This record gives sequence, C-alpha cells and structure tokens, in this order.
Amino acid sequence: MEDFKFLFKVVLVGNAGVGKTCLVRRFTQGLFPPGQGATIGVDFMIKTVEVENEKVKLQIWDTAGQERFRSITQSYYRSAHALILVYDISCQPTFDCLPDWLREIEEYASSKVLRILVGNKIDREDREIPTVVGEDFAARHNMYFLETSAKEAENVEKLFMKIAEDLMQQARSKDLPRYDSITTNISGRTSSISDSNCCSKLT
Amino acid sequence: MDYELPSEFDLIVVGTGVIESIVAAAASRIGKRVLHIDSNNYYGGLWASFNLDSINKLVTENELRNELDKKDLLKENETLYSVGNNAFNLKIQSQTWNLPEKLEEQNEVQTETVDAKEDVDVKVDESWTQEKLLKLSRKFNIDLTPKLHFARGDFVELLIASNIARYSEFRSVSRVLTWLNGQLEVVPCSRSDVFSSNKVSVIEKRMLMKLLTSCVDGDEKEFAGYENKTFQSYLKDRKLTGNLIHYVLYAIAMSTDDTMCLEGVKNTKRFLGSLGRYGKTPFLYSMYGSGEITQAFCRLSAVFGGIYALNQPLNGFIFNNEHTFRGVLCGQQRINAEHLVMSLEKVPQSVVDFSAKEYISRAIFITDRSIMESDKEHLTLLLFPSINGKRTCTILELGSLTGTCPKDLYIVHMFTKQYTSPEEDLKHCVEKLFYKQEESGESEIILPNILWSFYYSVPNTFNLGLKCEQLHNVYMCSGPDMDLDYDPAIAQAKEIFTSIYPDFEFLPRAPDPEEIIIEGEDNNNVLNDDNNEVEEHSDNRTEENLQTQRNID
Repeated sequence: MEDFKFLFKVVLVGNAGVGKTCLVRRFTQGLFPPGQGATIGVDFMIKTVEVENEKVKLQIWDTAGQERFRSITQSYYRSAHALILVYDISCQPTFDCLPDWLREIEEYASSKVLRILVGNKIDREDREIPTVVGEDFAARHNMYFLETSAKEAENVEKLFMKIAEDLMQQARSKDLPRYDSITTNISGRTSSISDSNCCSKLT
Repeated sequence: MDYELPSEFDLIVVGTGVIESIVAAAASRIGKRVLHIDSNNYYGGLWASFNLDSINKLVTENELRNELDKKDLLKENETLYSVGNNAFNLKIQSQTWNLPEKLEEQNEVQTETVDAKEDVDVKVDESWTQEKLLKLSRKFNIDLTPKLHFARGDFVELLIASNIARYSEFRSVSRVLTWLNGQLEVVPCSRSDVFSSNKVSVIEKRMLMKLLTSCVDGDEKEFAGYENKTFQSYLKDRKLTGNLIHYVLYAIAMSTDDTMCLEGVKNTKRFLGSLGRYGKTPFLYSMYGSGEITQAFCRLSAVFGGIYALNQPLNGFIFNNEHTFRGVLCGQQRINAEHLVMSLEKVPQSVVDFSAKEYISRAIFITDRSIMESDKEHLTLLLFPSINGKRTCTILELGSLTGTCPKDLYIVHMFTKQYTSPEEDLKHCVEKLFYKQEESGESEIILPNILWSFYYSVPNTFNLGLKCEQLHNVYMCSGPDMDLDYDPAIAQAKEIFTSIYPDFEFLPRAPDPEEIIIEGEDNNNVLNDDNNEVEEHSDNRTEENLQTQRNID
C-alpha cells in the first residue's frame, strides 16, 4: 500500500503573509487561494511525486501560524530534510527578516539540511526586491534560489520537484541527514525495534 | 512584524510548562480559542532544555512588573493583579567549569562557523576547553527536568491516542544500572536478560522469574498479610537472595527499604508492564531533550488554531469585584478571556498564600566518558539505592545519539529529594561515579571527568493541592515533580481541562493529513492543468493517478 521509496520532510519558514500556505496548497492540491478555515487541523500535506521512476513522498510542513509572533517551536525544524525560506518580493520587511530566519535555522536544523530561498508573489506589479538581490542573498548563504507565484502556479511545481530530485540525489550519495536510522517510531500500529541502539517515532 | 494579538479568547494560558501546554492543546483541539503566552523567549519554563550557552546565562528571578498606571484599560469594577512571584523558581547553587578557558599555546582560533559545517565529527581530543565546548553550544540540549517514558505509561499512550506522537522521536534507554557491592551492575530487566545474565545463578533465575510473575499476575491472596508490611519484607519472605532483593527492590520497583509492599508491587508492575514494547528496557527518552515535549503539545494546539506568542510583556491579570477572571494586560493591550490557566511562577504574589514544602535537589554534569564504558554508546538509567542513610538517587546518562550533546561527551543528570543542599545530597553518588575510590582494585577503571557541573534545586509543588480559592476561573499548574515520567503532569492537566470543559473529550485523536477533507476540494477551483493529483483518501485512486503522472522537468 505504501509503495513509495523515499519519504522526505520539507519545512517552510518565513514571515507571516508571504504565501507559505499558498505554495503548499498550490502544489499539493492545485488550489488558490486556500480556504480560510481549512488550515485548522492540517499539520502537513503529503504529495507523492516521481523522480527517475521512483516514487518520492514529500511531507510538507507549514508553520501553523507560530511564525506570527516569532514562536516557532524548535522541534518544528528537527529532522527536516529540506527547508524552504520564503519572502514576498513585494514586501521589503519580509526580505529584511531573512537573516533572523537563517539564524534560527542554523540553531535548530541539521547543518546538512537542503536550503532553498523562495521569492514569492511574482505576479504582483509592485515588486520591491529585484530578482538579482534575492539571487545574491541566496548565493552568499549557499542556498538554491527560485522566484514563484502561488497564484499563477509559476515555478511551484518546479520548486518541489527540484527539492525531490536533490534529496534523492543526496539520499543516493548517502549525504542526507539521517534521522530514521537512529530514532524509534512510537507507532500505535507498529512497534518493531530490533536494536536498542535505534530510536523510535511514536506516530 | 508588529502584529497585534486578537483580543477575545475562550482561554488564556500563561507559561509554557508541560501541564500548561497539555491543557492548551486539549482546549484548542475541541475548538476553543486559545491564547498561549509566555514572558520567556523560549518554550518550557522549568521544563525547558537549553544549549550550553543559554543554560550558563539562565535567569532564575522573575522580573516582577507592577505597572498599575494602566487604569484606562480597566473597567470601573476591575482590579489589576501583578504577574508572577519568586516563590517557585529554580534556585541555582553553583555552576562550575572544570576546564581551562582555552588552551594556552593556541593562538586566537578562527571562529568562522558561518557555514555550520561542524556536523563533521569532532576529533577525539583529550584537551577540552571551555571555548571548545561553548563553540559546540548548539549541540547541547540540556534539560532542566529530564524525563523518561514508560513504554506503556500514560504519556506514551496519550501521545499515541492523540496523534501527538508524530511530533517527536524517541530513543530507548538501553540499560538500567544499579550500585551493588561497591560497583555498577546492569539490572537484568527482561526474561532474556535474566536468563543470559552471568551474575545470577540458575536457581536465582528461577526464583526471580517466579517472583516477577507473581508480582504481575498475583491476586490479593498473594499479598495477603502484607498490607502493613514493607516490600522488602515480602521479598525476604519469598527467600530471595540478597542480590535479587537488591535488583527487585531498588531497581525494578524503584523502592527503598521502607516502601510498603503494595506500592512496591505496583511499581514492579509499572516497570514490567512496559517491557518488550520498544527496546530492551521499559523506558524511552525524547530525542533532543525533554524540552521537546511541551513543544509537541504546543504545535498541536497551534495546528488547531491556538495562538502562540513568546517573549510577551505581561503586565497584569484583570479581575472584577467578584474576583472573577476577565483578561490579561499584555504590553498596552487588553486581552479578554473566560478562563486563565497559568504556571505557578506566574501566580500574583498577593495571592500566593502557600509555599513549597519540599525541594528537589538536581545536578547536571558534562563528562568526557561514560560511567560504565562499553563498545557502543548507551542511554543509561542508574537507580542509585539508598546507602548509609542517604536517599535514593535517580541518574540518567545521555550520549550524543540522543541529540543532547556533542560526540564523545556525555550529559549526566541526577536528582533526589532535597535534604540539605543539591551538592551535599548528591555528593555520595558523585564521589562514587567520578572520583577514584580509596580501595581501588587491581583493574584500574578510568572514571569520567566532570568538565562542567550545575547544581540547582526546584520546589516540588506537586502535592500542594493547588486550588485558587480567592480567584474564580483561574487554574494553577504545578512545576516539575519527582516522577520519572509525566504521569502526575498528565493527570493534573486532565483534571484542569475537565473542570473547565466537563463535557468534552480530552485530546481525542487528531486526524492524519490524509484524512482531512479540505473545503473547496470538489469545487471549480481545482485546476488540473498540472497533471498532478492530490493524494486522496482512497488508495486505489492514488495508485491510478500516480500512474498517469508525468515527470516534470
């Protein structure tokens, strides 16, 4: 039933209102704008994509609104394979906050995590951050860069496919942050832990 | 990012300790509008975990605000109570480095860690320095209140039942140790341990298995006549050998010579009942520290609409003439709610008419090797029995695989009931584990060095029977207790939740993402131009869709 070969956790961060949820919903459901009340109870979204004939399951986590008052839990960053840092190209303050976000990422995420910088809302006419400025920032911080529009579905697919491909490649070269190998899954359903040197997740 | 908090809620929770966070999650889960705030800029309060840098800078006094000039925000018949008291805080006894600040011969080391490549294994180096350790600061997650979880305990069952388990990962405790005849011994926990142990004779094995079976399955008849006797006397009457009594009494039953028989039996059941589920011992530990646990509950609350704001300038609690809670004053903003749940440290000084009768002595050490070296890294629980009139002491040793310290280092937590002071209360354990023994035998064992130590005490407020008689619609949450797991915390959270919302289920299972039907999914908004389908509830459909999926370049 679960016939995917790879499962990756992708986490979004960035200021409130930059369109994180819209990106996820556009990608996973082809919807825009997302219904307002609908995010209640939604923890992460799942979409299976195909890369080099392999099924890759992306588990995409949203902030649950905790970014609004700078109160994202550290545990949100743990065990992420890829991290998408989003700003709004029509809103300078969202770009100015990027260094703060990077600090938080460096503090809590694995240093091997794949990091992508995304300038969203390119459909807007009132651009404040030129593409080259975003590119430059990304290059300086060793991140992949892309500009998107969740509204016009521009580059959204490309963004997540790129992530899936890169993570696959990392996985093949064993360069992925390896979490599963050391933790226990406290699942109500399964409870197989062969070795005590192994840890679990109780999902 | 100057957002203003909404100003109407059903429930305001102040403080992000474990009990507060469980209540917040449970209330959001049933659709209540919850505001969860903390004046600290971190989650967890007295239950938090810190990196090495921040634990060294830990502030233990509440900054008591008393700004009563906000009268314009109050209605006529309302009173403002200041937030917080200093009666229930952690008290630091000492914080000591046993390391040079830096190596003398080393010139200023370049500290360019911009690209955070330090995941590359740190070379084993005998010459640890403060500087070196602090450079690895973020690799540390040091718990103020470390907890273990019984594999079939209330906590694990709650996590699974509520689906909160998906936010955390756990690691099994790989061995349980005791101190027996002047040295550390592994406690045989499971049936296979018992049988493979070379410390236990064949006859003893049979006796032990028989005893454990009767503890688990035994009915009242088995323990008739022991209602007023100690567990130790029961074990002695069962003609167990001294070593076996030691294992069962001090380790498996986590008891003392004075523990009553029925309590000892209950403890034994709790231990044995959790065996065989996840690892070789009954216990789990939360990856990246116990501080992650409060955050898991907060995440659930946020997912269900709870609003989170740390680092908030809380200026007071507003009550009306009948002493009924009306709201809080946060900065210059008045926020109304029907109910208030708060940490004990946040209770207004003027209302605190009780104090802790008991304290817990605690210590944390960073060491350079395990207390009992082995070819693989262990996660160890050591139940140090009471000897020579000293109280029993619980000791936990965590290695780098738990995500709480860098490679080649260990974190050791110790706690016991406070008698005099943390250093004094724990001295006998520290001496035995870390200092050379006078009568050292032929085989010289290299003991771990303490690189850094931290002694502190916390009030044990669990049995205070916290009831706020003077104020209405207000609930207080105790601080950390002595339990190894979160059982008392969960019980208290549930009690608070049930008294506020008597007709609602406590933390029912949260749906998996696959089960949520997103509104508008079936209407015309759905764009199919990208050939990619959403994963649906029916597996068959997903199968089909995936086959038509095209590789997008």
